[in-house]
Amino acid sequence: MAAVKKKTTTLKEAVSSFIDDGDTVYYGGFQIMVPMAITHEIIRQKKKGLKILNASTDAGGLDLLVGAGCVDEMHLAWAMNWYVKAPYAIRRAFQTGRVKRNDISNFGATSALLAGYLGIPFIPVRGNIGSDMITHNTEDLRVIEDPFTGESIPVVRAWRADVAVIHAQRADWLGNVVAWGTRGVTDEFGCMAAKRGVVVTAEEIVDPEVVRSDPDRTVVPYFKTLAVVHCPWGAHPSGCRGYYGVDIRFCQYQGKYERSEELLPFFLDEWIYGCEDHTAYIQKYIAKFGREGLDRLRPKLGFKPKMDVDYGYHDPAVWKGVPQYTDERIKA
Amino acid sequence: MHRNYKLNELMVVRCAKEIQDGEVVFAGVGLPLITVTFAMRTHAPNMILLTEGGSIRATAPPGLAITVDDPALFCTGDATSGMLSTMAALQRGEVDVAFIGGAQIDKFGNINSTGVGNWEEATTFTYFAGSGGANDMAASGKRVLAIMPQDPKKFVERVDYVTIPGHKRMNGAAERNGDRICGPSMVVSTMGVYRFDMATGEMVLAEYFPGQSVERIRAHCSFDLKISPDLRETPTPSEDELTTLRSIDPTGFYLG
Repeated sequence: MAAVKKKTTTLKEAVSSFIDDGDTVYYGGFQIMVPMAITHEIIRQKKKGLKILNASTDAGGLDLLVGAGCVDEMHLAWAMNWYVKAPYAIRRAFQTGRVKRNDISNFGATSALLAGYLGIPFIPVRGNIGSDMITHNTEDLRVIEDPFTGESIPVVRAWRADVAVIHAQRADWLGNVVAWGTRGVTDEFGCMAAKRGVVVTAEEIVDPEVVRSDPDRTVVPYFKTLAVVHCPWGAHPSGCRGYYGVDIRFCQYQGKYERSEELLPFFLDEWIYGCEDHTAYIQKYIAKFGREGLDRLRPKLGFKPKMDVDYGYHDPAVWKGVPQYTDERIKA
Repeated sequence: MHRNYKLNELMVVRCAKEIQDGEVVFAGVGLPLITVTFAMRTHAPNMILLTEGGSIRATAPPGLAITVDDPALFCTGDATSGMLSTMAALQRGEVDVAFIGGAQIDKFGNINSTGVGNWEEATTFTYFAGSGGANDMAASGKRVLAIMPQDPKKFVERVDYVTIPGHKRMNGAAERNGDRICGPSMVVSTMGVYRFDMATGEMVLAEYFPGQSVERIRAHCSFDLKISPDLRETPTPSEDELTTLRSIDPTGFYLG
């Protein structure tokens, strides 16, 4: 359990201190909220042998991580750059035997993370049965006899990463992670199941008292968090709820590099190795495609909650000196 | 013959009609998303929409949802509680329609969204995205609708990888999933509509799109396609339907 202390640090420091070669990593996000700045930094630091756990992942983040040679193994349901309709680097890495891929369904993956979250070894699920996933992925999927009914039921192994990497809208400097709009999809389970803890990039850093004013929105409590990095545009080119939409044109641009083994190193050199950090990456973007490219991603706002809630503390001190309630029946 | 619509537009309009108003529909990424949005804006305003991204909606998304955790799905959603909560509704048996796409389908309705080639000989295998939630949806939805453009490479004798089991595996009966088998009840392509003969588990052509013929459809299908004795022509989409549909996807992301 991480102590109550300031967890804010730089992207470089967070990745070098908390992600080791060979780690099993819960890779956060889904079709948006992909932890892209962390992905780039892992590539910059040339981490090796990572084993990825994830339900579904888009925008080519995992494709870059695999293409750069950081990943040995993946356990997931879906991986894509949806804007070029293919996971090109993953495809090549599987064909050459460079990565091992263990396929499972989305709910299978979510259940595996839930089992990890619950600290139990496996969990029954519906689905997967009768598919080739259950034939090929015996690391994650088995069929057992339901001890109560005697029927066959698929079970999935609990997934517990060494470390989780996610991008969030906000975090405080203690490490409380705040998300809204589908509660991080599967991030709350993937993070809590992580053995060492969570590395998070956030669009904004706030004070703990701000988080404590609305604790329902905390998806990862501070004690699981290893490092907090202030990182605007940290999910780019995927989107971040309430901050920016998916940069479809950049995903397509990146995808054209993912597509070719010969071209991909040029993308990695220009956009990752050639950028000191994520700020430099965003500066490069502005220099190459213009600030209007980023402006185009700004969402239409005006979707603020219309329910003004108050958590309403009631002080039990009001009972001091109040006599017991009674009536004639109780007295008799 | 002059058409004022594209075949993929008719595919979406026709498929949407299979959704009854008031049904609980779980829609996967891709064409299912635009189809359910169209259904909610036309004949099925009381449809309940669930997606893997974790949102539950009683109203049509305000715009085109490109992803299943798109802002168009969680802005003004009724509940946005994550993947576990929506997919749990599938597991509990509360979903009427599971609505999926796919890359390959065979005559028994086995669907492949994982990749082509021989998985066990990795060098021959070309990965697509993978199952995502499609397997879960098909396993637990009361009805399964599949939508995919028609092409002889997609309508095959035997899928290379069974991501979603159909009515029957090539090597024998489908493994039962509780009391039901996962296979689709209907498949809509860019050429026609297919249903399944429950006695044999085989796909049957039930409707052809205007301008298509049985011969032409057979030429775009790599297995010996059975034809329904009640074969009929699919009605053309109305001007209103086309206007509504095009307003949902103004840049042609899905239908361009």
